[in-house]
Parts: sequence; structure tokens; C-alpha cells
Amino acid sequence: MSMKNNNHKLILGIYDDPDKVLAATRKVRKAGFDIKDVYTPFPIHGIDKAMGIQRSRLGIAAFMFAMTGLLTAVVMMVYMSWGDDWAINIGGKPNLHIPTYIPVTFELSILFTAFGMVATFFIVSKMAHGKNPTLMDIRQTDDRIVIAVNLHSDSDNKAISDIFVNHGALEVRERESSI
Amino acid sequence: MAHGHEHEVVIKEEKFVMTAKDKRVATILMGGGLLLALIGIFTNHSEHEMLMKRIWANLLADGYFFFIISVCATAFIAIKAIANAGWHTSIKRIPEAMGTFLPFAAAVLIIVLIGGGSEVYHWMHHGITDPASPNYDKVIAGKSWYLNKGFFWGRLIVFFSVWILITRNFRKWSLQEDIEGGLSFFDKTYKTAAFFTFFFAFTFSMFSWDIMMSIDTHWFSTIFSIYNFATGWVSAITIMALTAIQLKKRGYLSIVNEDVIHDLGKMMFAFSIFWTYMWVAQMLLIWYANLPEEVTYYLDRTKNGWGFHFYLNIALNFLIPFFGLMARTGKRNTWWLSFVGCIILFGHWNDVYLMTFAGAMKDHHGISHAPGWGLMEFGFLAMFAGGFIYVLLTSLSKANLYPTKHPYIMESALHDVGV
Repeated sequence: MSMKNNNHKLILGIYDDPDKVLAATRKVRKAGFDIKDVYTPFPIHGIDKAMGIQRSRLGIAAFMFAMTGLLTAVVMMVYMSWGDDWAINIGGKPNLHIPTYIPVTFELSILFTAFGMVATFFIVSKMAHGKNPTLMDIRQTDDRIVIAVNLHSDSDNKAISDIFVNHGALEVRERESSI
Repeated sequence: MAHGHEHEVVIKEEKFVMTAKDKRVATILMGGGLLLALIGIFTNHSEHEMLMKRIWANLLADGYFFFIISVCATAFIAIKAIANAGWHTSIKRIPEAMGTFLPFAAAVLIIVLIGGGSEVYHWMHHGITDPASPNYDKVIAGKSWYLNKGFFWGRLIVFFSVWILITRNFRKWSLQEDIEGGLSFFDKTYKTAAFFTFFFAFTFSMFSWDIMMSIDTHWFSTIFSIYNFATGWVSAITIMALTAIQLKKRGYLSIVNEDVIHDLGKMMFAFSIFWTYMWVAQMLLIWYANLPEEVTYYLDRTKNGWGFHFYLNIALNFLIPFFGLMARTGKRNTWWLSFVGCIILFGHWNDVYLMTFAGAMKDHHGISHAPGWGLMEFGFLAMFAGGFIYVLLTSLSKANLYPTKHPYIMESALHDVGV
């Protein structure tokens, strides 16, 4: 991993209550600080809006994968049934005929979408088999919620820390991270 | 939740007022529809027998369409209750009000079955199971242990009674809850919903065979009931969405946020695909196997002028909702959602029309020719739609527009589907 030079400083607020996390996140964002992410062991309703994250483009990717699958299926089937090279008589049905294409087109669209979305998710989340996960705090996999804020040279660490503490953080600390 | 947290949600009693204009529109639809239908009937020059078949088929198709919509509204309440869902609580009064149309639709079906049964249903023809009769039909005689009038009426009365009783109870308990509060009505609804869902799955299947599939008595399809359920279910959800949008436009239901409407739109989208899956599954297997006793159903529905309605099904019930509601913006723009919703409703009416008419309009050669849409079809449709709207709005005006003391009302008000 040659990410060492990408290391930067973060400040973490560690919580045990999703409502406090929501309030703290809103406050931090309102104060104009750069929220890196919120790490939570379970989904928190409304956290995406509180953090102000942009809408995921996964849906668009899914549509592209679906169209790729659809096209693959149609091209494959038309190629196979073009002419009489591989004509197979099944129930006397015509070789090139729309109803026979429906199941294969449907299945390949779905297959491509499913695989494509899983692959996209792994790539976007930088997950790979055998790679050591970088956790903000080991307890984020258990019962703690971590708000991570990027620290820039001009960031007011004290102000962020105060917001965290005022909203009931159990612990506030700084750390270096490569992600 | 952006809305929920920034300004407080206030749960207050809200009453819908059915204006004189609403009453007038519904009445004009009913009266004008009937008038159109009568003009259509009296200016019709086909032979008497075919005309009678067409009138009964009209009443049957519309009665069935609005019946399955009403009963699916009850199924919606039941399924949400057993799933312990909360998001729909703020629009729950709409399916409850839709259910109040059920007795009317049941009455129409009973009238059609008594008056026009032998016109429409092959198996009700006189002497069909009597080997001595010229009408004798061996195949139908073999099915007569199930398709005989005694058993038919017996089970239909049981289905109608139980469905109407449970529909009334759901609404009654929900309205009582507004006054008394507490969890007892929630629990009662939960338990009854568990029974209803189980009962409904079986009985709706038989109901769809009895009313729809037995028109083509020789023919059968094992996927038919779920396909019919999909028709009613997606139409019922579409009507819920349209009603909620209209109420919001008039300044009611401020508690219903755009995320709830968005979720209704998702269900319209998803169940349009579900309907298509069932429709294609039924068609494809029959087309592939090409068995004479199965394939006749589709020959009857693609030839002799029926092809238009057959292909219209694909366009209105699949292509338009699929591409129209795929994007998030399509589901969150209420104007567009209403527009696509109207297309979905018309498309499923077309589906029921095709199911009913192609079988019911058979002449003595056993062939049906599409009569096309005329004043009769649109007149009867307007009449039923007017009646449905009248009953729906009346029922809505009789109670709070959303349940104020339902344990999940706050969850629904704060419903959030994310970015």
C-alpha cells in the first residue's frame, strides 16, 4: 500500500445514540466543517440528509448494466438463430421470434445488473478480498457510532470538539488515516 | 426527515369536506355514463343475443374490475398490518374508504350472475351436463362437481360475506381507535389481518376462477388467480396514490410527505412489472406448448379484432409504467405520477375488458368478434367510476382523513426514503 503520503488528520466523535449522532452531524455540517463519513453498525434513518451527501449514482449504473445485459442477450440470440447454421426446431416454433427471446433477455438483464452492481459497490467502497479493513474505531462494528471530520490546516479543532461534546459524545479524539 | 425535523409535525383531526362540485361530478359521471350506455344500446344494430351478451359482459367486466380494486384495498390494509408496516399509516383511510365500495360491487356481480349468467358463462347453459340434451358438453360435465350452481353460489356468498365483514371491521376499528386510542384496535386488526391474508389467498383464487376463468369454461390456467390479483392490486395502489395526490392538492393530508407518495409510486412501478411477469408467464408457456385446449384462449384474444386490445395491454400496463416510473423524478413529480396512474388504470380496465369480452361474446359457432369500444363500454365505465368516486369521497368525508391515534402515525409522518 503506497497510500502513506495520502495520510491526513481526522477528528472523531464517538457516540452510543443515533439521535445524538443525527443532531451532532447536522450541527457540524451547519458549522461548515468537512464531514468525512459517519460509521455506524446499523442504518440510521435520515443520516444521509443530515450529512448532505449526494444521491448515489448506483441506479444509473444499474440501468447501464441492465442495458448491456439486454443487448448481449439480443445480439447473442439473433446471431445464433440467424440463417440456418444452428437452427434447432423446438416445438415447431420459428427460429427468430420475439416471445422466445423474452426469458433470456430478462434473465441476462438481471444477471448483468446484479453482478455489475456488486462489482461497482466493491470498487467504490475500495473493498477487496484479503485487504485489511481500515476502521475508524474498532467499536464501530459493535455498538458505537463514529462521526469522522476531515481536519484541514485551517480547521478549528476546538470548535468541532465542542460540538461533539455538547451533543453527548462519549469520546473525542484525533487520528491519522489513509482512507 | 428533512421536513420532519426542521418543523414539527402536528397530528390533528382533519376532516374532508365533499363539496357540491364533487357530488355533481360524480353524479354526472354516473348519470351521463348510464345515458351514454343506453344510447349505445338503442343505437346498436347487432342481433339481440349478441347485444344482450355485450351488455352483461360490460356489467361483468366493470363490476369485476371495481370489485377486485376494492377487495385489494382491504388486502393492502391486511398485508401492511401483518408486516407491521408504518409508512402507510397517514394514507390508511384511503384504502379503508375504498373498501366501502365492496358491497356495491358485490351487488353488481350478484345481479350479473343472476340475470346474465347463462348469457355469459358457458357452463351455465341449459342442459350442458345432461347427456340427453343437444347442448351436452362432456368436458364441462366433467367439471360440474366444481362448476355447479349450488356450490358456486354457496362459496361465492361465503367469500363475499367474510370479505365484506372483515373490510367493515378494519374500518370500524380504525375509526373507533380515533376516539378511544390505545393498542387494542391495533392488535385486533393485526390478528384479523393474519386470518384474512390466509383466507384471501385461497378464496380470491377461487373467486377469480369462478367469475373470470369460467367464462372460457374449457380453458384453465394455474397462474390465472395471481395474475388477476396483480391486476387488482396494482390498480388499487394506483387509486390510493391518485387520491392522496388529489387530497394534498386541495390542502388536505399535509401530514403525508412526498416520501410516502414516492413509495406509492414505487409500488405502482414494481407491481406493474409483477403484473407483466405473470401475464408473460401465462402467455409464454401456453404459446410454447401449443396445446389445443390451452392455446384457444389466446387465439380468441389475438384474432378477429381482439389483437388491438391484446397489444395495448403490453403498452399501457408495462412499457409506459416501466419507463415512465423508472426514474426517481418520475415518481416524485405528482403531475406525472397521476398521468401514468391514469394510464395504468385504463390499461388494467382494458385487460379485464379483454379477459371478459373475448370469452363472453362468442356466437353459436364459438367465435367472438371484437365489437370495439363504443358508447356502451365508455358509458358503463363512466357510470362505475362515478359510483366508485361517490362512495370513496363520501366515506372519506365521514371520518378523520388520517388515523390520529394509530401507534405508527408519527412514523408515517416522518417517513423518509433517503436521498
